[in-house]
Amino acid sequence: MDKRQQQLQQLQAHLQQLGEQFAQRLQQELPELAGKARQLQQADDVESQQHLLSSLRDQLHKLAGSAGTFGFNGLGQQARELEQQAEQWLDSLQQKQQRLQDFIHGLERLAEQPQLIEPEAAPAGTSARLASLASTTCARVIYILEDESSIGENIRLTLNTFGYKAEHFSRIEALDAAIAKHLPDALIIDVNLPEENQTGLDYAAALNQRLEEPLPLLVLTTQNDFTTQLQAVRAGAQGFFTKPLDITKLENRLERCFAQQNGEPYRVMIVDDDRDLASRYSLVLRGADMLVETLQNPEQILAAMASFNPEVLLLDISMPNYGGPELAQIIRFNDDWLRVPIIYLSAETAITRQMGALVKAGDDFITKPISDNSLITTVFARAQRARLLSNALSRDSLTGLLKHADIKEQVALEQERGLRSGKSASVVMLDIDHFKQVNDNYGHVVGDSVIRALANLLRQRLRRIDSLGRYGGEEFLAVLPDCSAAQAERIVDEIRQQFSAICFSAGDREFNVTLSAGIAGAPGLAASELMEQADRALYQAKHSGRNQVRLAE
Amino acid sequence: MPELKRILHVEDDPSIQAVAKVALEAVGGFSVLSCSSGQEALDQVLGFAPDFILLDVMMPDMDGPQTLTKLRELVDIGLIPVAFMTAKVQPSEIAHYRSLGATDVIIKPFNPMQLSTQIRAIWDRAHG
Repeated sequence: MDKRQQQLQQLQAHLQQLGEQFAQRLQQELPELAGKARQLQQADDVESQQHLLSSLRDQLHKLAGSAGTFGFNGLGQQARELEQQAEQWLDSLQQKQQRLQDFIHGLERLAEQPQLIEPEAAPAGTSARLASLASTTCARVIYILEDESSIGENIRLTLNTFGYKAEHFSRIEALDAAIAKHLPDALIIDVNLPEENQTGLDYAAALNQRLEEPLPLLVLTTQNDFTTQLQAVRAGAQGFFTKPLDITKLENRLERCFAQQNGEPYRVMIVDDDRDLASRYSLVLRGADMLVETLQNPEQILAAMASFNPEVLLLDISMPNYGGPELAQIIRFNDDWLRVPIIYLSAETAITRQMGALVKAGDDFITKPISDNSLITTVFARAQRARLLSNALSRDSLTGLLKHADIKEQVALEQERGLRSGKSASVVMLDIDHFKQVNDNYGHVVGDSVIRALANLLRQRLRRIDSLGRYGGEEFLAVLPDCSAAQAERIVDEIRQQFSAICFSAGDREFNVTLSAGIAGAPGLAASELMEQADRALYQAKHSGRNQVRLAE
Repeated sequence: MPELKRILHVEDDPSIQAVAKVALEAVGGFSVLSCSSGQEALDQVLGFAPDFILLDVMMPDMDGPQTLTKLRELVDIGLIPVAFMTAKVQPSEIAHYRSLGATDVIIKPFNPMQLSTQIRAIWDRAHG
């Protein structure tokens, strides 16, 4: 045995010994965690709950980091998931505290305003009231900085119609004070503020630098020139709008910012015959909250892709019997996978060979060895672009929901999944009542805003796992996995009531709109039959007087 | 190009400390000084004169970023690559760590057999 091999064996033995020590430590640490969990159950004041939760989170974080190093991958992964849950609980406790504080401040302010007890003139009609909505859903808070009051108010009212909680400020000082009290979910900022000694962009750039996590920022301006756009980009803007404003477009972009913010994790597939390396990359990417699947045997690639549906593919360029580019070409034979970015993993630095491989169906190169963060950044950027592109192609431009064919496909997928898991899905067919009258009376622009308002309401009320599509003009289709028809009926009926409470405005006229819905849920039925049943139930709802939800018989 | 020999490793978890030391010494042939806290690192850094600093992010009392700030007040570590070790890395967090002056980030859990290669790669890039 040569010296090197001997050394390696010694090292392995040493590592194994350390692993055993770690396992012993776990025998102490895991019961400790369970003990803290029990304490948490008994803790009755928020402060000790917060204290316990943050200590649990820290301990789980350590465990998530260390267990995998010693080969306890399952434990590490579970610890990471629990760590995230602890974080979420902490967040929601904090939010609850914050809301209580806001409520207390509100009461205090009420007492400080003697003018409120004086008689006042009849209230002017507000153009959008969403009181019932705001109380039941966590509306996103948007702050608008716009010195022209009429424009600012117009944006505020329109966004409120769409279910946001918007506030308008004319001066930087007022906005700053509001931000200090409560951080909004996004900012809309006018660049040109003649009254101030800085531009809106200067302010936004400074603000975003101050914050740990920059806020989504949309910029309004009268100057549509390159310099201003560049400044906007540098300030971190995600949207740039020239006056006169198209507020619907503005709202659209806002929705997209949020969709990007808490979208589902990116799905990445790694094909590499080097098991160690594949699991290393997988760990790194999972650490950045991506879903990763690794595949050692390239012959299973098509089946694996069909079941995992990756958004990015990392492909080793040279495997024993196959070349990466050959595999890439096989994948590209299939129309479904034309859009998936393929990144080659290669120890090859010769540029000509890289070029040759790229021409054959690939998109990018990662040269091994790669640092953890270059790997994350490369994959993240590719996945993000791929998803945006895929959304642009498969989503309805007015509502941002899935298009007809894609939502139908989703129904079929969920029904199939329900068969495997034994948990049945419900299908909901929804239609706006007398929509033609809305269009005829108030015009198509107003009609469009009604459709978008319903789309937003549905998006806010349904779960992340539910799929939602615009089926036809004013018709929507949703599929709710693991949800009985009776449960679905309850949710949809709440949505029906909330929708009818939204007060729409057109000029100085106000009106309300209602919807009807049909629901079907039966395990074992074909997707097409299920949709047909839901459609029939919808028809019955329409014929029994509209503004109601019907279950399929 | 200077040679990479001495690594200062700051980590409060004794198990991780041990496995990293073994791995870096046996696989990479480096000489490793392990410290259990930021304070200990501050006390030892001048005497040890590391070529590379490896910092755990989450430690009680003084965390990784705080330790880095203090280290910087103490010595001119402008040329010494510093890598943070952490269990959770979002792209925005990486940017944040970089803005603090870290050369790179190594993700936990790490593979003991590859840790040396990873550090070597960061070193090469920092001096390349």
